[in-house]
Order: sequence, then structure tokens, then C-alpha cells
Amino acid sequence: MRASYCRCINCITPPHVLKKLLDNSDTRVRDAALRTLLATSRLRGERSVRSLFASAAAASSHGRRTISDCSNSTFLAAATLARSEDGPASGDESVNRAFEGLGDTRAFYSEVFDRDSLDGQGMRLNAYVHYGSEYNNAFWDGSEMVFGDGDGVLFTDFTKSIDVIAHELTHGVTEFTAGLQYHNQSGALNESMSDVFGSLVKQWVGKQTAAQADWLIGTDIFTPAIGADALRSLKEPGKAYNNPTLGRDPQPDHMSKYVNLPDNDVGDNGGVHINSGIPNKAFYLAAIGIGGFAWEAPGHIWYAALSASTASTEFQEFADTTYLKAGQLYGTHSTEQQAVLSAWKEVGIRISGVRTLAGTATRMRQAAMTNGNGHDEDSSDVARQIEQLSRQLAVLTKEVAGLKSKSKAH
Amino acid sequence: MKVTLLQRGGLAAGINLQRPPQVVDAATLDGTAAAELKALADAAMVTPASATATGKARDEMSYVITIEDQGRETILSQSDTTMSAEFGKLLGWLKRHLKSH
Repeated sequence: MRASYCRCINCITPPHVLKKLLDNSDTRVRDAALRTLLATSRLRGERSVRSLFASAAAASSHGRRTISDCSNSTFLAAATLARSEDGPASGDESVNRAFEGLGDTRAFYSEVFDRDSLDGQGMRLNAYVHYGSEYNNAFWDGSEMVFGDGDGVLFTDFTKSIDVIAHELTHGVTEFTAGLQYHNQSGALNESMSDVFGSLVKQWVGKQTAAQADWLIGTDIFTPAIGADALRSLKEPGKAYNNPTLGRDPQPDHMSKYVNLPDNDVGDNGGVHINSGIPNKAFYLAAIGIGGFAWEAPGHIWYAALSASTASTEFQEFADTTYLKAGQLYGTHSTEQQAVLSAWKEVGIRISGVRTLAGTATRMRQAAMTNGNGHDEDSSDVARQIEQLSRQLAVLTKEVAGLKSKSKAH
Repeated sequence: MKVTLLQRGGLAAGINLQRPPQVVDAATLDGTAAAELKALADAAMVTPASATATGKARDEMSYVITIEDQGRETILSQSDTTMSAEFGKLLGWLKRHLKSH
């Protein structure tokens, strides 16, 4: 009640009115409403992040690593120290893989996003290996990472895939930024962030371009006997596996295939690991549309959007934010922004207030493939038309400001 | 006594979601194994979860263990971050048994 009240008095125009304006037939009105909504959302997210930073007064440990061995127990407090930041390598490969994976992920966030560990304040990185018995999983417990050995039938050691390690650590980054709730669409976005940045860490370590990358999560954690490529595919959600033992990959790649599941443990909290296929595919398409290394422009756009999101952000708002951030980082009408627009459209999400011009997505792909940078005469035409719309938007913004002044006077 | 294990969630939730519950019927076990299962199930039933869910865990697995014994059904529902040590021991026993059979 209180938060809602505060938002209303702080906004120039109430959010429900702005949302209504997104359906307006006039492009200029839709654009103005979209920008106002996104700016409000961004400010909410940035305020939240600032408050987190302010409360973190402890000195940075720059993400010092500690790996502990559970010896197949599920009781973390009984685990023994296996390797520390300055200690010698272990004779246990699981320990060393976890240690290196944490280090690669820490270096990725530091060098690519200038982020000091998961919380941006140098938080220590603690991980546990050999958790439980026949444990087919890895998880983030809210402050630490835990890795199982697999049952040796379906899965092997979960430290074997760097993208799995980075996936779990990224849950920490998400918690310290947007704090996306782990239910339904916000939960699927949470999972998607972990898949996207998990894949980017793997690509960054391997120095692979978007075109060279396999875009698969967990390729190395299946036993050789299991005929599965991976747990998930960002490139082709729904096609990571299909066999009698595992079943069929249930991830959708388009909003029309969104899977409604109960919001409880049995229903995967509303299908957070299922519907993440939709934003995963959008990131893949944006990365391919932009070309080059995916951790550069595409990664920076997604990271900025994550930082500007809130706990309740859903697909539409996140898509809108990536579009806004692409414009802020690389320029309105830029190749990057157009690639983001096309990517979301292809998975069934239209950026609010923006209508893609017919054939834009196809032309973007062709341009990226032939020119490498996405620029051609067609995209220049698109840019000119968007420039014209922006000028109209500026005029409209002034008109809205004038109307507001009049209404205050009354 | 019959014990049923349902596993959900986890990093591989898409796979776990499609897997049916697994059943261990004590009547099919030798005397030693049946006694072990009975002791572990009894201990798990009288021990509450070690913690309440914080809502901060991601990719953790949840487990529903249903114990049917002498016409009585007990359902234990715990997760990686909330399970008691006794629940963990029963879970471990079930997994090892199911793998070897």
C-alpha cells in the first residue's frame, strides 16, 4: 500500500495511465509513454541497487575463494576445507574445477562489467563440492554454491561445465541487482540471466564469437551413455535433448508456447526453468543480430537492463528496458538497438510503443551476415524514419509538459 | 512398508519434471535392508525440517517422500536447504537403492 502510494505521488503521470497510452494508435503517444514508464522503472531499480551498496560497508575481499568438501553429506557445516585462495592446488579435480570456475567467473564480471565479485563489493566466494549422495544438481543456497557429483547414470560431476558454475554464481549477481522474484515470469527471467551470463562466461573463456559459440548449458555434465547435448539451448530452446530416458526438452522458444505451471515446488515455481527459453532465445537472436563477441554489446545491454530491473520485472518490461538501454549505450536507431527490437519480436514480444517496420528482422540478419556490422541502405532508411519519429516525440513531450502545467494551474 | 520418492526442481528441472515418482517396497527387500529402511523412515518422520525456506535459494531440489506403513500414510516434503539430517540419510539410502536396482 505504502510503496504504491509513494510511486503515484512521485510520477508525473500515473503508471496506469501511461500503460493505457501504450495501446494508443498514435506512435508518438506510445513512444512518450514508453520512455516515461522505462525511466520510472529504471530509477526504481537504481535506487534499490544504491541502497544495497550503501548497506555494504565491509571492506572488499575481492571475491576470495574457498572450496569445501562435503564428503557426500548434505550437512554443509560439517564440510572440510579443500582449497583456499592462496593455498596449493588440491589432488581432487572437483575441487580444482570449482576453484578455477569461480575464478573465471569472477574475472569475467570484473573485466567485462567492472564488477567486484557478486555483490559489487568483493564478496567472498564459497563453494562446496561432493554434496550429498548421487546428487544430480548444483545450486545457489542464497550465499554459497553447492555442487553434486551426479549419480553416474544420467549425470556426472556438476563442476565439469564452466557455464553451470557461472550460472550458479550469476544467481548471486541477480540477487544483488534486480533481485528477481523466483516465481513465474520474473523467476524465468532470473533463470535466463543465469543461462545468458553462464554462456557468456564460457564464450569469454574460449574467446568465441556469437557465431562460433554452441549456446548450450551443461554440455559436460551428462554421462557418455546419455544421448543429450545439454540441459538447455539458448539457440534452440526445446531441442537440447529428446530421448526415452530424459524425455523431451520442454522449453518454449516463443510466447505463443508459454507453459503455465503451478507456482509451487512441484510446478518449478511456475516453470522458471521452462519459460526461460523465451528470453534465452531473445538474447541469442540479439547477439547474432549484432555479431562479434556476445559479451560486448549484447552482454552490456542485458547487464544494464538487469541492473535497472526490479524484483517484479516480467518479460515485457525487461524487453522494453533492453531496448531503452541499447539506445542509451549505443545510440537511438543504432544497429544494436534494432537487433534487440527484432530479437524480442521474433520470440513474440513487441517493444511497447514501438512498431517494427515490415521486414526489419530479416534485413537485420542479412546485413549482419553480409556486412558484419549490420549497416546497409535498408537500415539507414529505418534509421531515418525513426529519427523522424523521435523529432515528433520531442514535440509531443513538450506538449504533454504544457498540458501538465495547465492542469497544475487549475 | 512402501516408500515413494518424488524429486523436483534443480538445475535440471525440465528433466526432473518429467520423471515419475520412484517406489521402494520393503516387502521386496531382504531382512537387513528392510530393517534399515524402516529405521531411517521412522527417524525422518519424527524429525522436523532443520530450517524454514528463506526463499533465497536458486536451483535447489525439493523432495516429497511418502511413507505408507500399516495403513498409515505420512508425507514428508523438504528441500536441499531445509532438510533435516535424518531426512537426508533416508533420501541418500533411497537414491543408492534405486540406482542399484
